[in-house]
Amino acid sequence: MRRLLPHLVLLVATVVALFPVAWVVKMALRSSQTFSTSLSPWPDEVSLVQFEALFADPVFWRQVLNSVVVASATTAVGVFLACTAAYAFSRYRFPGRRAGLQVLLVTQMFPGTLMMIPLYRLIESMGLLDRALGLVLVYSTTAIPFCVWQLKGWFDTLPKELEESAIMDGAGPLTLFWRIILPLSRPAIAVTALFSFMTAWNEYVLAATFMGDERAYTLPVRVQSYVGAYTTEWGLFAAGAVVVSLPVMALFFVLQRHLVGGLTAGGVKG
Amino acid sequence: MTRQAARIGLVAPFIAVLFAAALGALALQRYSAERHRATATAFVTHLAQWYAEQGPAGSEALARDSRVRFAAIATRTQAGAYPYLHDLRFTAHTVDARAGEVLWPILEDDRAVALAVTRSGVTHLPNGAWRAAVRAPGSDGERSVAVIETQPLSPISVPWWGLAASCLAAFALWLDVVRRSPGRGAAPLVAAALSAGAILTPLGMRLVAVDAAEVGTTLGSADLRGAALMLAAAVAAPLTLVGVVSARRGSGPSPHRWAYAYIAPAMVGLGVLVIVPFAFGVVMSLHERVGGDWRWVGASHYVDILAATGRRLWEPMSFYFTLAVTALWTLVNVALHASIGLALALLLARPTLRFKAVYRVLLIVPWAVPSYITALVWKGMFNQQYGLVNHLLGVLGLAPVSWFASFWTAFAANVTTNTWLGFPFMLVVSLGALQSIPADLYEAAEVDGATRWQQFRHITLPLLRPALVPALLLGSVWTFNMFNVIYLVSGGQPGHATDILVTEAYRLAFEQDRYGYAAAWSVLIFVVLLAWGFVTRRAGEDDEPSRAAGGGAH
Repeated sequence: MRRLLPHLVLLVATVVALFPVAWVVKMALRSSQTFSTSLSPWPDEVSLVQFEALFADPVFWRQVLNSVVVASATTAVGVFLACTAAYAFSRYRFPGRRAGLQVLLVTQMFPGTLMMIPLYRLIESMGLLDRALGLVLVYSTTAIPFCVWQLKGWFDTLPKELEESAIMDGAGPLTLFWRIILPLSRPAIAVTALFSFMTAWNEYVLAATFMGDERAYTLPVRVQSYVGAYTTEWGLFAAGAVVVSLPVMALFFVLQRHLVGGLTAGGVKG
Repeated sequence: MTRQAARIGLVAPFIAVLFAAALGALALQRYSAERHRATATAFVTHLAQWYAEQGPAGSEALARDSRVRFAAIATRTQAGAYPYLHDLRFTAHTVDARAGEVLWPILEDDRAVALAVTRSGVTHLPNGAWRAAVRAPGSDGERSVAVIETQPLSPISVPWWGLAASCLAAFALWLDVVRRSPGRGAAPLVAAALSAGAILTPLGMRLVAVDAAEVGTTLGSADLRGAALMLAAAVAAPLTLVGVVSARRGSGPSPHRWAYAYIAPAMVGLGVLVIVPFAFGVVMSLHERVGGDWRWVGASHYVDILAATGRRLWEPMSFYFTLAVTALWTLVNVALHASIGLALALLLARPTLRFKAVYRVLLIVPWAVPSYITALVWKGMFNQQYGLVNHLLGVLGLAPVSWFASFWTAFAANVTTNTWLGFPFMLVVSLGALQSIPADLYEAAEVDGATRWQQFRHITLPLLRPALVPALLLGSVWTFNMFNVIYLVSGGQPGHATDILVTEAYRLAFEQDRYGYAAAWSVLIFVVLLAWGFVTRRAGEDDEPSRAAGGGAH
């Protein structure tokens, strides 16, 4: 009994965690657009009608491309910015360091509703509405504070002796950063990259505001478009949801070993 | 003393010049933009009026009239539903009447209208401006409908974001100058040159953009401005590199140059795309949008919100009621996330547990699903007629519940959704922290005869604290501003009661078009969070020693 109890609790939790997901998959595999009302999460039919309808639309592929471009560019820019800044915050003691760290925290408190109109004006004045570049700029900067804290926590756990001995061997600051710190931080960087990617891949509100042209939509905006005020095309919505969620799930699956370690170092030393 | 004086003497003029340049550029930009907009608007208004008088037949008659060479037909439209986000756009046709063809069919903004008309028109003024006259046939021959004179599109019209970026770059460089001891060679000169370059780059690009538009390339101005931005970045990068190299050679003895070089890119990005919009939002909160203009109203929005003008202090949509709901929402969620996450982590951390990896992968699945999808699916599940939850209640022999008809059930639906969404994060954080606790501590405790509970109370919890406290604080801020779940699941039903502060702000701005009021409301949200941050910062600082002791998951 003592051995079974943890399994029982974990099983219940797992079922609860997976139920809505199974539900979405089930709806995606149905041929009707209505919300399924039976309790069983197992698919009652396996039809690829919804996916076919989705994939047959050339605009959909264009939107997939948008999402991929936006998310990967955001990840690249965001991780670069966060790595350099986090390294400085972790290794150097300079005037403004504490203030800088506080500012990073404070920006997390800015309500999105306050930022939306000014950001719209800003992006508009740069001529970047309907353009992937606009979203990339906004996403990669909004993800910076969390990523910096995250990476700084990791860098803090790396022993200073490593760098000291490298300096003895004549390494300059850039060599230290590129050759010593970054290779040792792969797990944390992977987790940071995952978060940047997720931020960009999943974000809806700003994408819907900045992208007026259907061809410029990212996938969340597309998926959301199936949800109407009065009726919802649940079949297409679910199929889109599956397509949107799969890459993130795959990344989670690949990176989940790093996730536990990479995330916690940031938390511990935050 | 003299050092200090020299330093101030060196830096003060630098700041003054920079400040003056910034102000001057702003003023000029404003002036030329205003002037330009005014002329273009007047022109288009005239045209629209003329068009209203003549009608489509008028323009056809115009096209047949051999005395008329050029005509322009313009309309004003509003592009979208939000009066603020979607500005008025001017659309114009310019027609070559003799050739009978439309020259520039659809033009997107006022500048393009002006430009098109100037190109269809006649005079190129010596100062670089264009003047165009549009004529319509009248009984006494031609009559001039509208005359437009464009300003030469001044290269001084720096886009304001460029100015902001330049000022930030200049400020960063200024910091560097301050750190260097004065009189050491060319450092201040280099700094000044760099900041001038930073200011001039968007300027130059602007000029290029205008030129390209004048000669009528097929590139849109958006492309050009996007390219300008990238080019500015491309120019800024080598400049930074030069700074870095010169720092390396030791021409500037600042001990912190590397630190600043490393944080500069992130801070500039943050400054332009986070701090500047925030400041803009604060300014917005002191204005109200009346018609098409922003009118200064001072602090009256704040007074209205805090005094709950027009409603009782304690009812849905009043600031205090919404704040209380938000606080409750945050508290309940964070408590549930933390307790569920920690409990599951404790189970998963048992060394003897089998299928550990499988559970771990499956339990973080909710985290990977985008939150708006989660929210919409759960909303469907809580639907009174076809929702699964009521179906389940039916199976258990209970009556169906109309979930969004009363406050507590709607609140419960929101909380359920958000808990499902949020517990994996706390699970992962707890799991990592648990793994970092050395096993020999437990062995020692066991030798001393400590019970399970005592071990948890005196070993696990204290050692988890440094990892959990920051995660909880971060989680509380996120939950406080969690827009998707509230907006998509309960949608504030019944009667705005379950709205939290951010969703209410969104409604004020985008459903009621009260932009200034919504901005003030949002600033107050920020103030509340800031106060919360100050309160919890003390808690964070108390952790400093334990962090040093217990830190190091690796």
